[in-house]
Amino acid sequence: MLESLVQLLFGHRPVLFSQGELQFAAGVGSYVAAAAGVAALAMAVAAYRTAPRLGWRDRWILLGIRATLLSLLVLALFRPVLVVRAAVPQQNFVGVLLDDSRSMQIADFGEGTPRSGFVTDQFGAADRGILGRLGEKFVVRTFGFASTAARVNEERPLTFSGSQTRLGPSLDAARQELAGLPLAGLVVVSDGADTGGTALDPTLLRLRADGIPVFTVGVGQERASRDIQVGRVATPRTALKGTSLMVDVVVSHSGYAGETVTVDVEDDGRIIGSQQVRLPADGSPATARVRVQADDAGPRVFRFRVAPRPDELVAENNAREALVDVRDRQEKILYFEGEPRSEFKFIRRALDEDRNVRVVALQRTADNKFLRLGVDGPDDLVAGFPKTRDELFAYRGLILGSVEAAAFTGDQLRMIAEFVDRRGGGLLVLGGPRSFGEGGWAGTAVADVLPFVLERGPSEPALERLTVRPTRAGALQALTQIAATEADSAERWSTMPGLTAVNRVDTVKPGATVLLTGAREDRGERPVLAFQRYGRGHVYAFAAQDSWLWQMHASVAVDDLTHEYFWRQLLRGLVEGVPDPVELTTMRDRVEPGERVSLGVSVADAGFVEVNDATVVAQVTGPDGAVTAVPLQWSGEASGQYGGAFPTGAPGWYEVRIDATRGERTLGSSVAHVRATAGDAEYFDATMQATALRRLAEETGGRFYTPDTVSGLPEDMNYTGRGVTTVEERELWHMPILLVLLVGLACAEWAYRRKAGLT
Amino acid sequence: MRLRVALAVVVLVAGVVAAAQEGGRFRGRGRRAPVVEPARVDYDGRFAFVRLRYREGGGFFGGDPGWAHDYPRAERNFMRILEDLTLLRVHRDRSNIFTLDDPELGNYPVAYMSEPGYWTMNEAELEGIRAYLAKGGFLIFDDFRGEHWYNFEEQMRRVVPDGRLVELDAANPIFHSFFEINDLDEQIGYYGRATFYGMYEGNDPARRLMLIANYNHDIGEFWEYSDTGFVPIALSNEAYKLGVNYVMYGMTH
Repeated sequence: MLESLVQLLFGHRPVLFSQGELQFAAGVGSYVAAAAGVAALAMAVAAYRTAPRLGWRDRWILLGIRATLLSLLVLALFRPVLVVRAAVPQQNFVGVLLDDSRSMQIADFGEGTPRSGFVTDQFGAADRGILGRLGEKFVVRTFGFASTAARVNEERPLTFSGSQTRLGPSLDAARQELAGLPLAGLVVVSDGADTGGTALDPTLLRLRADGIPVFTVGVGQERASRDIQVGRVATPRTALKGTSLMVDVVVSHSGYAGETVTVDVEDDGRIIGSQQVRLPADGSPATARVRVQADDAGPRVFRFRVAPRPDELVAENNAREALVDVRDRQEKILYFEGEPRSEFKFIRRALDEDRNVRVVALQRTADNKFLRLGVDGPDDLVAGFPKTRDELFAYRGLILGSVEAAAFTGDQLRMIAEFVDRRGGGLLVLGGPRSFGEGGWAGTAVADVLPFVLERGPSEPALERLTVRPTRAGALQALTQIAATEADSAERWSTMPGLTAVNRVDTVKPGATVLLTGAREDRGERPVLAFQRYGRGHVYAFAAQDSWLWQMHASVAVDDLTHEYFWRQLLRGLVEGVPDPVELTTMRDRVEPGERVSLGVSVADAGFVEVNDATVVAQVTGPDGAVTAVPLQWSGEASGQYGGAFPTGAPGWYEVRIDATRGERTLGSSVAHVRATAGDAEYFDATMQATALRRLAEETGGRFYTPDTVSGLPEDMNYTGRGVTTVEERELWHMPILLVLLVGLACAEWAYRRKAGLT
Repeated sequence: MRLRVALAVVVLVAGVVAAAQEGGRFRGRGRRAPVVEPARVDYDGRFAFVRLRYREGGGFFGGDPGWAHDYPRAERNFMRILEDLTLLRVHRDRSNIFTLDDPELGNYPVAYMSEPGYWTMNEAELEGIRAYLAKGGFLIFDDFRGEHWYNFEEQMRRVVPDGRLVELDAANPIFHSFFEINDLDEQIGYYGRATFYGMYEGNDPARRLMLIANYNHDIGEFWEYSDTGFVPIALSNEAYKLGVNYVMYGMTH
């Protein structure tokens, strides 16, 4: 609108004024006219000076108007011209990049017309539309782009089916193909939704270095009228079989404020979780916490879905998939209990039916006498608590029961701290008369890793009776959710029998999260279960001494499994995410068919000391069963970090198995899965990204257009100053704005004279 | 026969002594109903001995009901042994007496019953003890012999209808949970050759024992008189070893 007004008043497109140089083509007549103007001004001064009934103010205003009018007239007679460099017709090239991705099928251009309709209409044929007008002055090279740019021709027409938009690589490809040609500029017609995840900055740098302006045309609405989108899903990459995961699903929307939608989780067509969420005001996302049970082993694709509404703009962005490698293996936890007590028995019982978590129990029954249960062999733990790092670090979790710090050597205490910090293991410390401060743990290496602040000095156990309840953080954690839904869990917690504690623990560390609190009979609340990350690992501290009452108390029904459920969840949480000595990570769990997969592997020995001289080989099994060996190299950037990549081919699953050896010794292996399949990222955040397109244009010296303003593109392109150009002079004396101003000033003088009583 | 007579004399004397020491709590004549004040320990997380009190079906001795035999000296002595030998935190001089449907029973996952040959239950008690076992409680049955077995078996059938009582051998973990008891033949029972029966959870030997029954034995009697000279020290030792192992097993399995 503003641009049209400027063009109407100034007679030329704004781009001419930004590119051109103002000059005057004055002749002899111009100077004569200037002299006449000065004379006319002098006469006006004389006339107004002697005019009766005029005050000084009136005189100055009238003279000012007359002087301005005469100045404009003289300016016009000095023949101002705009000197511009215009492209020589058919001597320059223009690269037109047309978005060929799926998001162009979204029907938000006009009434039910897809974005691709505009592209086809204006850029689909060389003899019509914008492309036709560009063709009148330029040699046009048309590219279709999605993940990269390729020339559009009869063999390769636009299909609007690309599953990925990578703006940077596409511009780079077009720039390279047009390198060496007199290029007036590039035109990008797109919704601007880049789904490649690559930064645009390097491309912008190259375009600026080459002086190539990019003219962008944004297609689509900047804000969807009515749409629901599953925006983000936070799942772990791996999970132990049988684990309950609490997954945060972010649902964004426009046009459905106040409505309640259901987030369903599907695994292979079966619904395995469901949660309702009320949508807040437009623009504010809602987060649903959905419980998902990972019961089937192997690579599982969990699909988080909100049923599409009939009037939604894009139905494809109502579901998002996440790959979780569900591992069916047995994780070992060492439980060291310093005295015979029922907590030991019932925690072990709770894990009886869990085939994926095994508790190796070491109970000190008398001084230097241990009862070993669930050990691997007759010599396992025969001398008590592990004395070497290799022995301790073989476990993924460690539970310390009611045992005093003095039961360990200084090195064993440091080993326990390193178990968390360096090995990345999960530590759980239970309350009891020999635990925490009462057990002399304050000031030890282990005290540093605990989420509780331990008071120094001797402290005698003091009994407190507690009613245990989850905190807000605890209510949202899978770990402390003891029923199917948050509401059911809260109800169940409210009826759980009370426990006792004997440890004075009132303060948690700043980085810790309290999941359960205990209401005392008379003195407020205290933390019962707290959690914190420490180094590579994590630590839980459970301050009560008798959670087994949740099983044995008279108020608990025989078939109630809350105690078992709680401990299974907690101990699974304890080993969740604990690394192996050899740990493989793929940067992404899904790639486009044909795309390369980057691999990262961390390699350490049994004592979790990083190894830089290992032989690390990935065995990649493709969808056709073919196995390819991919050697990985030490990155040189960090100890124990190896990297490599392999290309995918056909769509399907790719299993990557890493084997790391050092000489003859096997350090470990790790398995991960990657899917090669066309993604639906194109439909997410698929509104027209005007900001990105505007930035692309402005930083390269181009301009940003919408379908409403795109008609000026061919003319603007003519004056980029790039390529083969000729100098043109554009007369400015006949700009409509000058006429408007002259007439306006004359009218203003006449009106003022009338007002002042002059004729 | 001579041994039985001797033991009977010992038991008779012990009963009198124990009654005198406890202020005659169970003193009585003939088979009059005993005056029993429930003994209770406030739960504080420590182990306390639990003696189960059941409905009378007989078994009175010197006025004491069967369930109270050897009380309280047996548990007092046994708790001293437990405290001295192990790291178990115990209530040394106090213990519990619970009926089978007492809600407090659940606070103590190991319980002891004397003279199950005279044990009877009403429905509430039946439900109470059934729940106790199903949730994870462990029972020690002691002091029964001969035809007492039939009542014990019948009551157990009521509690766990599908449960099977099986004879345990020395390889069972319960005989190795603290002391290594490798030969059960060395266990001279109070009433003859002692036989140890157990019942596995779900009748699955890979799972825990829910109970142990000292048939033809009375380890409580040995505990009671261990400090009097009425019973051989060696036999008292064996009785304590069994008791300690039972408690350790019950606290861990």
